[in-house]
Amino acid sequence: MGDSLTPEISAAMTRRQFFRRSTAGIAIGIPALATLLTTDGFGADTATDPKTGGLVGLPHFPPKARRVIFLHQSGAPSQMELFDYKPNLVKWQGAELPDSVRMGQRITGMTSAQSSFPVAPSIFKFSQYGRSGAWISELLPYHTKIVDDITIIKTVYSEAINHDPAITFLQTGFQQPGRPSMGAWTTYGLGSENQNLPAFVVLISQANALNPDQPLFSRLWGSGFLPSRYQGVKFRASGDPVLYLSNPPGVSTVTRRRLLDGIGKLNRLLAEKYADPEIDTRVAQYEMAYRMQTSVPDLMDLSKEPESTFELYGPDSRKPGTYASNCLLARRLAERGVRFIQLYHRGWDQHNDLPRDIALQCKGVDQPSAALILDLKQRGMLDDTLVVWAGEFGRTVYCQGKLTGTNYGRDHHPRCFSIWMAGGGIQRGLTIGKTDDYCYNIVEDQVHVHDLQATILHCLGIDHLKLTYKFQGRYFRLTDVGGFLVKKALA
Amino acid sequence: MSRTSLDSPLRNAKRWRGFLIQPIVCRWLPIAAVGLCLTPLGAGQAPPNPPEKPLDFNRDIRPVLSDNCFACHGPEEESRQGNLRLDSKESVFADRGGYRIIAPGSSATSRLYQRISSKEKRMPPASSGRSLTPKQIELLREWIDQGAKWQSHWAFDPPKHPAIPEIKDKTWPRNPIDYFTLARLEAEGLKPSAEADKATLLRRVSFDLTGLPPAPAEVDSFIANQSPDAYEKKVDQLLNSLHYGERMAMQWLDLARYADTHGFHIDSLREMWPWRDWVIDAFNRNMPFDEFTIEQLAGDLLPEATLEQKIASGFNRNNMINFEGGAIPEEYHVEYVVDRASTTATTWLGLTMGCARCHDHKYDPIKQKEFYRFYAFFNTVPERGLDGYEGNAAPVLQLPSAEQKRQMVDLNQQIASVLTAMPEKEVLALRNEWQKTRIATLPEPPGGGLVTHYRFNGDLSDDFSRYDGKLVRGEVVYEDGPTGKAAEFSGEAQVNLGQAGDFDVGKPCALGLWVNLYGLKSSEVLQKKDASEHWTGYELGFGDVAYAGRHQRNLRFVVRLAARWPDAAIEVRTKDRVPMDAAHHVLVNYDGSGKAAGLKIYVDGKPWETETVKDALQGTFHTSASLEIGNKNIGGLFQGQLGDLRIYTRTLTDTEAENLAVHLPARVLLTELADTPAAEIATLQPDKPPQEADIGELAKAESKEQKQERLEKQRQARLSEYFLMHDAPERYKQLYSRLAGLRKEREKLEKSITTTMIMAEMSKPRDAFVLGRGQYDNKGEKVTPGVPSFLLPMSRDLPPNRLGLAKWILDPSNPLTARVVVNQYWQQYFGTGIVKTAEDFGSQGEPPSHPELLDWLATEFVRSGWDVKAMQRLIVTSATYRQSSRASRELIERDPENRLLARGPRFRLPAELVRDNALAVSGLLNDKIGGPSVYPNQPKGLWEEMAFGEGYSGQSYAQSSSSDLYRRGMYTVWKRTVPPPSLTLFDAPDREKCTARRAVTNTPLQALVLLNDPTYVEASRALAVRALHNGGKSDRARIDFAFKLATARTPNAQEQAVLLSSLREFRSAYRQDQANASKLLSVGETKADSTLGAGELAAWTTVASMILNLDETITKQ
Repeated sequence: MGDSLTPEISAAMTRRQFFRRSTAGIAIGIPALATLLTTDGFGADTATDPKTGGLVGLPHFPPKARRVIFLHQSGAPSQMELFDYKPNLVKWQGAELPDSVRMGQRITGMTSAQSSFPVAPSIFKFSQYGRSGAWISELLPYHTKIVDDITIIKTVYSEAINHDPAITFLQTGFQQPGRPSMGAWTTYGLGSENQNLPAFVVLISQANALNPDQPLFSRLWGSGFLPSRYQGVKFRASGDPVLYLSNPPGVSTVTRRRLLDGIGKLNRLLAEKYADPEIDTRVAQYEMAYRMQTSVPDLMDLSKEPESTFELYGPDSRKPGTYASNCLLARRLAERGVRFIQLYHRGWDQHNDLPRDIALQCKGVDQPSAALILDLKQRGMLDDTLVVWAGEFGRTVYCQGKLTGTNYGRDHHPRCFSIWMAGGGIQRGLTIGKTDDYCYNIVEDQVHVHDLQATILHCLGIDHLKLTYKFQGRYFRLTDVGGFLVKKALA
Repeated sequence: MSRTSLDSPLRNAKRWRGFLIQPIVCRWLPIAAVGLCLTPLGAGQAPPNPPEKPLDFNRDIRPVLSDNCFACHGPEEESRQGNLRLDSKESVFADRGGYRIIAPGSSATSRLYQRISSKEKRMPPASSGRSLTPKQIELLREWIDQGAKWQSHWAFDPPKHPAIPEIKDKTWPRNPIDYFTLARLEAEGLKPSAEADKATLLRRVSFDLTGLPPAPAEVDSFIANQSPDAYEKKVDQLLNSLHYGERMAMQWLDLARYADTHGFHIDSLREMWPWRDWVIDAFNRNMPFDEFTIEQLAGDLLPEATLEQKIASGFNRNNMINFEGGAIPEEYHVEYVVDRASTTATTWLGLTMGCARCHDHKYDPIKQKEFYRFYAFFNTVPERGLDGYEGNAAPVLQLPSAEQKRQMVDLNQQIASVLTAMPEKEVLALRNEWQKTRIATLPEPPGGGLVTHYRFNGDLSDDFSRYDGKLVRGEVVYEDGPTGKAAEFSGEAQVNLGQAGDFDVGKPCALGLWVNLYGLKSSEVLQKKDASEHWTGYELGFGDVAYAGRHQRNLRFVVRLAARWPDAAIEVRTKDRVPMDAAHHVLVNYDGSGKAAGLKIYVDGKPWETETVKDALQGTFHTSASLEIGNKNIGGLFQGQLGDLRIYTRTLTDTEAENLAVHLPARVLLTELADTPAAEIATLQPDKPPQEADIGELAKAESKEQKQERLEKQRQARLSEYFLMHDAPERYKQLYSRLAGLRKEREKLEKSITTTMIMAEMSKPRDAFVLGRGQYDNKGEKVTPGVPSFLLPMSRDLPPNRLGLAKWILDPSNPLTARVVVNQYWQQYFGTGIVKTAEDFGSQGEPPSHPELLDWLATEFVRSGWDVKAMQRLIVTSATYRQSSRASRELIERDPENRLLARGPRFRLPAELVRDNALAVSGLLNDKIGGPSVYPNQPKGLWEEMAFGEGYSGQSYAQSSSSDLYRRGMYTVWKRTVPPPSLTLFDAPDREKCTARRAVTNTPLQALVLLNDPTYVEASRALAVRALHNGGKSDRARIDFAFKLATARTPNAQEQAVLLSSLREFRSAYRQDQANASKLLSVGETKADSTLGAGELAAWTTVASMILNLDETITKQ
């Protein structure tokens, strides 16, 4: 029997068996097999690799990373408070943002009615750390320990200026709904490497008291026009970790096993009559569901983690649903060969009271993010795991609301923002890109969201131009019509 | 219609210029060396099969050229290379001065073949990402050598009624469909399968026409009925079932991207179910497809449009809408219109029109400008771009019940008559006269015992200079308030009022102030308590928030006094919630009794009923801590407005409370407005008609003058209101109070009326433009509504609006509409359409498997007067449909997707039917038709964990109760950002976009749903109860009964043996473990039948679960 949870694998396995059984003496070529592998009616011109369920011919070249952990900082962290040190801003505190800098570029409906756009310098201190001498804000003390492991890019830019389109853009390569997410593209292309877990897993930090007001949308990990089996599976902190995972009350493992045996027997009897390979697939899927019932709780059970793990990730890591706990789970998922692990952490949308709120927010994010890198490194996994830490855009240098010496807010700013990447395929201890003195426009090394996506796929051994899917007559790809590798970042 | 018009001389000139500048792009220049060189197939490549019959351009060649070549050599001018179009006959066969792209009959001299088979300058180039397979190269060679017969794209020529083909086996066909399918099978050397057995056929057709399984008795009587037209009779009966409309609507809802929420960002609720009801009803009434189309695209534009026709026009209001704070209205408005244009093109024309949004279509001859002309039809809806804060967005149609209608007419009449009875002029004169003298007689605000008074009139000083407030951090600003100025706190200011409000347990006191909360949440207002967890002191604030629409929330006023919180404390709160829509006056009286009863709360001058939460104060609540505004300890500081804070060392009387809340503001107004009489009485004016939306205008900052004017108006209105409520002649007082009451009642009635979003036209239509790269702010040439020129022209007799468009779509010579629609029907029955790409009939779509059949069906559909039921009947009564789906492995291998139709359809039921079937089989189904969506069981917290938080609808999931839990899947509330998981796991779409076909996947998560979802566990129990009660006495009989309910057949001996042995195992397990048995039986909302032993029922429940999980149960075969 096929023994992975990726549906394609089982489909492939069962169908291979079906061929062995049913076509004695008849030579069946790969094309025929490939045709049979795509009975969902879509993607008829693609063949899948029976070992992984990914596409035949992928990866396009030897990958540096085998999996991705994407730490999405939803709401858009302020680059000026975290990574992009702008000492000159103090001089212009309260001064109007010059037109020569703003250049009439569009701003959101939240501040477009403001009569003035005063410059708000960050009140937080920066210092240089590590051999690389990267500038890091006092808000991120734990990040100072990983500066030599990560590459900071200060010049990523987006096209969207509001959350919904910008998050959708970052996750699917397009501002409007309808496209597959990065994780879906990746699993469609590369399939799965693990035996008992989904290939694409999503973890969402539960809203904290500070700022829960950021919605998320399942399209962010959806499969768009790809078949729905490629969508991310959300692991939840309360209730069943995977929807409908637990047996109903009163159903023991023994009873469930017998029930599955019975269903299997009856389905196999049916298969004799109808010869439909879908029936074989269904039998295999029931077996996988059964295995998943063991493997998922085992994954979620942190009781065997040593004390040192919780020390590393911080006290929150004991609380299910926190960002810290999800970072730890991400490592456990990575260990088990899950291909794409997508975290979402909300609370960065600091339109007002930014100094107070970002400090609180960083307390929850700084340590676990750094811990994940240190943990992967000590396990030798940082070499083949790509970690990305990014929000959907940055924040404005000008103040939203009232500017005082100690308080200010910042609106959405897509023209430059800071992210970091680390691990498989990525340089270590590097800072890329330069923004202007106002942290408003990019001066050097601009990185479009599509460039970032192309680079992520590249680390996985995928040529982003070649991973396509025909839908409505067009060959779509994650990077739409753009995407250039961020060569400086590549190891 | 001339297709060559696309190659105008002007365009050629432009291309030529491009060619001169960039000679490198011309990849088709002659290559001397290639000549006759045929590239041999590489080692290991299989030799292509020689074609057995003449190649067909549309079937065999165009798809290859389109997919591999058109992107650079197709309709799009911008990126066209080398002055060559391979989608144009003229371009392909032109004499190019010594060489031809295609020389019919001679592949060797055809440049096309030379280049695709060349080693060095091979086409397509590697950089294109496309490449031809050896087989495709051979196909092209063969086609050229066969004479290169060119055809225009099949789907763009009107279908001709084809002759019924000749076939050998004349006994098989039942209707013309079968001649077409059999002719193909005979050509392929295949035979059709035998007819499916009657039970299987009945189950198949029941799912297909009603979405529900046949009852066992129905199966039996159908099997027993030997009359030759038994099946046809059954089909008629199913077509007349009201569930037929539901089944047909399901596919339509996917196309229409129907959902119950707006989709973007906060994704709150909308109400479109009246439109859904209309669709179900239209199918049930067998509305001809042309009417069905016209009413949905343009029902509002029909002369004397009926209510139903307007509801129908909601088809194109099902698009997603947005109100994310900060979003730019015009940007989203463009998205709505693009969505409408794309959805309409996909649904009726099978065109991927949206591809021409940013540039000319790369494969089909649709110019970018033509896309925006099509777009222009949908651009003139009076909508706002950012809307939907509170449910439906304008334009909406109210759908009052007869009773509500009557009430509304009545209320409006009453309001009108009240307004007539108090002419504004007359009232205005009285009011201005009154204004001159009234101040002299107004009561003074209560003075005795007043020890502290903050006017917040520009600073934090205390009138008595004892406890002047201090700003600890942040800033306070002073704005217009109910009694002059008031202090505004942005949530960052911390204010310390020192020892003001130094109350003690035995001393009576009173504290009054004006408050307006700005934040969305509960908030402390004042507190004087120490910082410890078990604090001593007191606090006043608003809590227990309840949301009632956009930023509209109601809160209880709460007072807490504690010697030691929370055990030695009093907590009292108002029984009702204060609507936080404006500033309210609150006053707390404390009589010094140390009891909850000694606290009295006044809101806006009236004593409010309170409820006691705690009444256990022991000792004093006196503290030396300072009085502070807000609470710095629990996150956010106070955010809102405070005015006229007064502290007394005695309790105030009811009259005094009213004085502070009602008369004092009037006093201030009379002073402020002493020299400015009112020019109108705003509160007496009839309602202003709502203004039409304008897109693209961003909010502008208010100028000083505008602000001044606005405040002035507000003050005048407030003073008039005071006059009319307190001092006007009795007659007017009464009338005014009546008016206020009536208006309130009308508002309530309005909110209770169901609405649905509809299409409408702006009185002054908005202009449409070509948008450069599809961007909203990149306006190019202005365009008028129009249709793509490669299709039939729109008649001058048709109005250039949606109604004209609908009629153009339905023109019998429109090549696409009827084909596209019958193909959708075919797909519903056979899983795959005759054209597999149901959403794309363009050159990148798959050519039809049975082109003549498709054309026959399409022309027949039009000929029948677009008779929808007749078309369904035709398909399901064909021998083709009635075939058994059992097949040999060889046949499945040869034709895995059943494109040749040598067998009947077999595929997993659509998501909604997986659910409906389990509920129907178990007897739990509530088969009510239509109405609002329902909230069946789903895992807890799914909506909440992705929600915006509070303040909007659709953020938390409130499960339905009783029979609503068992409605059909199509009525499950569809929240776009969190679609119902048990449906989406079975491939139901999220309804963000128009979906023309669903994938059918097979995953472990589906197994988990069927095994563990409480809905299916409960259905298993219900099925078990049914079997035990009605299945006979023996285990065998009961198993047969349950199995037959689920599959319409009796299990064979082997199957029975498996089920029986499983039953025995479960029985012995559950008889020994009654506790587990009871647990299993407790799942679900219905109560388990206690007359059946728990162990026995649990065992049968498990057997029933097996049956509900069978591949056969969830499959139409």
